[in-house]
Amino acid sequence: MTAVAPAHAAAPAHAEPLWLPLAHGVGSQRDLPLSPFYAYAGAFTALLVSFLALGLLWSSSRFRGDLSGRPLPAALQRLADAPATRTALRLLGVAAAVLFLFHLLLGPDDPDRNPAPGALYVLLWVGLVPASLLLGPVWRLLNPLRALHALRPPRNPRPLPAALGIRPAAAGLLLFTWLELVAPDNTSTTTLLTALAVHIAVQLLGAARYGDRWFAHADPFEAYSSLLARLSPLGRRADGRLVLRSPFHGLDSTPHTPGLVATVCVLLGSTAYDGLSDNPRWITTLQTSSLGPVPTATLGLLAAVALAASCYGLCAGALRLMNPALTTPLTSFAHSLLPIALGYLVAHYFSLLVTEGPRTVILAGGTDNAPSPAPPLGPGGLATLQVVAIVTGHVLGVVAAHDRSVRLFPPARAVAGQLPLFALMIAYTLGGIGLLIA
Amino acid sequence: MRARRAEGPSGAAGPVPGPVPGPVPGPAPALVPGPAPALVPVPVAAPARAATASARAALRPVGAVRPLVALVAAALLLVGCGGRATTHHKPGTSHQEATGSSGTLLAARDEDGHRLRELPAADAPTVRVEARPDSEGGWNVHLTVERFRFTPESTGGAALPGRGHARLLVDGRETARLYGPWGYVPPGAHTLTVRLHADDHTVWAVAGAPVQATVRLGATPATAAPSSAPAASASAPPSTAPTDPGRTVTLAITGTTVQPPPSRIELKKGERLTLRITGDRADTVHVHGYDRELPLSPGTPATLTLTVDRTGLFEVETHESGLVLTQLVVR
Repeated sequence: MTAVAPAHAAAPAHAEPLWLPLAHGVGSQRDLPLSPFYAYAGAFTALLVSFLALGLLWSSSRFRGDLSGRPLPAALQRLADAPATRTALRLLGVAAAVLFLFHLLLGPDDPDRNPAPGALYVLLWVGLVPASLLLGPVWRLLNPLRALHALRPPRNPRPLPAALGIRPAAAGLLLFTWLELVAPDNTSTTTLLTALAVHIAVQLLGAARYGDRWFAHADPFEAYSSLLARLSPLGRRADGRLVLRSPFHGLDSTPHTPGLVATVCVLLGSTAYDGLSDNPRWITTLQTSSLGPVPTATLGLLAAVALAASCYGLCAGALRLMNPALTTPLTSFAHSLLPIALGYLVAHYFSLLVTEGPRTVILAGGTDNAPSPAPPLGPGGLATLQVVAIVTGHVLGVVAAHDRSVRLFPPARAVAGQLPLFALMIAYTLGGIGLLIA
Repeated sequence: MRARRAEGPSGAAGPVPGPVPGPVPGPAPALVPGPAPALVPVPVAAPARAATASARAALRPVGAVRPLVALVAAALLLVGCGGRATTHHKPGTSHQEATGSSGTLLAARDEDGHRLRELPAADAPTVRVEARPDSEGGWNVHLTVERFRFTPESTGGAALPGRGHARLLVDGRETARLYGPWGYVPPGAHTLTVRLHADDHTVWAVAGAPVQATVRLGATPATAAPSSAPAASASAPPSTAPTDPGRTVTLAITGTTVQPPPSRIELKKGERLTLRITGDRADTVHVHGYDRELPLSPGTPATLTLTVDRTGLFEVETHESGLVLTQLVVR
């Protein structure tokens, strides 16, 4: 825009540019910090609901997981399961991927003029949240890598190691959030192409060895979308019928795969780090750290994930102490953290989706240097939405955990047994609200 | 402070008369295509468009009807265009058509002496105006018109419904014309009136009042807010002049250290902010969200003044060294 010519002329001691990453990859605006009123209102509601839930909720388990649900009309199911529908979705995914690659390879190296970074960080990463909540595990159906894999499926794929679970996907999610929140220059086409090449190589090599089951366990976006889809009213019953059901039943049917805790902790920790990275004190720490900003930010992200995980570990340990009969304290309650993670995601990414999402689509439509549209909610509306999202996530989590604990614990200990979980959820929720104030 | 809207004398929703040529007065010929094309004189007010369309249709049968076509052409020349030649007028601007149903000329005049041209409310154009503060002062004006088209190419021609231009009256005095929906009003203005004029400079009117919209350009920029951020060395004279620099924040960069360290500057929407930044190397400062840039040269303070007209949290960052200098919290 304005004169940038003599920029390299006099660069004395600090010659290397720091390139502090913009959080979220794209977008020039962040959400306003919450005013204390909203924060206190949210925190109070969360506490109140938790204690009411302890006393008032049912005393025998009600959720039936994937056995429940009202079947959709057979015609709708036939349409959804028709090979033509599946092929069309697959082709849609391939077309979108080709368009993305085309922009990445030939488009300008400038996130203001190239829709590719927005397509990845906003349309895919954030857009998968509402899409999965409404329609179920959509990325499974769209994933262009599955289409690529279907061209040459392996003749005799090996069975996946049972201990693997969705751990590769958790690692992939951590890498992706690192790319989004920490990586320097994370909107440049070179960075994105490198990341894409690594992703494609890992996925296709894994799938060549283990068959297409690999994607469900290792593709970070599939795991993310499938986990969020547990909260969708649209689901599939154990007998294969497409059903409408309460999200609680879907949540209850979350499989206890190894790596579930890790995935949820990555989601919680990375979103928390996203909130932290707005904080001026953290920015000062990054800029003055002797390690350099990127290693410091990486440590910060890892620390946030580790903190979320260790809180959960502590809670699981306490559960086990109070209930020696509970053999799998870690995985038994991991599903109840999903709504909390979802609340964090909505609170942090809503305005990004509604401002940068349309801008990305406009850019992809060929408009150069499109302005981002004004946010649809005023500061008060947005603050309300953020607090409501976090508190709703908390409430859903509390209810899910309560139902699970009355199923697993003997009735005499059911109420006391879930106290550690409640403490954990309150900590997560207050922490989430605290990060929105900061 | 964005979106201050004002409604002009708008009509109830009705059929939208597009900028079609008015009906043709006087006897106009029309051709009825049929087995035997014949000339049928049509009485007053037959749409001219129909005449040309049917003429085209009639021109299609070639060969046998060629003499007839010649006859038709001759008839057209003689009857339709007899008297006044219209070929040198752009479509829709001939004097003849203009006297059709372009409203009633009233005796009343506006402040600048233009006569008013009355239309029924259902046919009259409407205008709404919206003024947003420009980040360099002044206002960007956007008109939303209905049943109206800007016709700069035929200004000076006759008045046709739904066509013309707009005039900007700043504090009651005419300052500019608009030949399109967007315009600019320099700083210092208090009220802005937008009035719709016909091509012949008469003012479109409904019920004796001009079709216009008025918006107050509030004196809100530079309402000096209390300085709450520690980084701000506030010096805000409580003046409302748009040239007022507003809050001033002084920052110095040494290496990777920003003095005072990054913090949040709390601002009210519409406030003006002046950043005074001294760097120790050549760089460019970028204010995100407002996309304002400021080149820095080593040791010399550079200043940037902007009106914060979007709410949100925005970072002020250097491009080369990638340092976050401060954050603007605009509520």
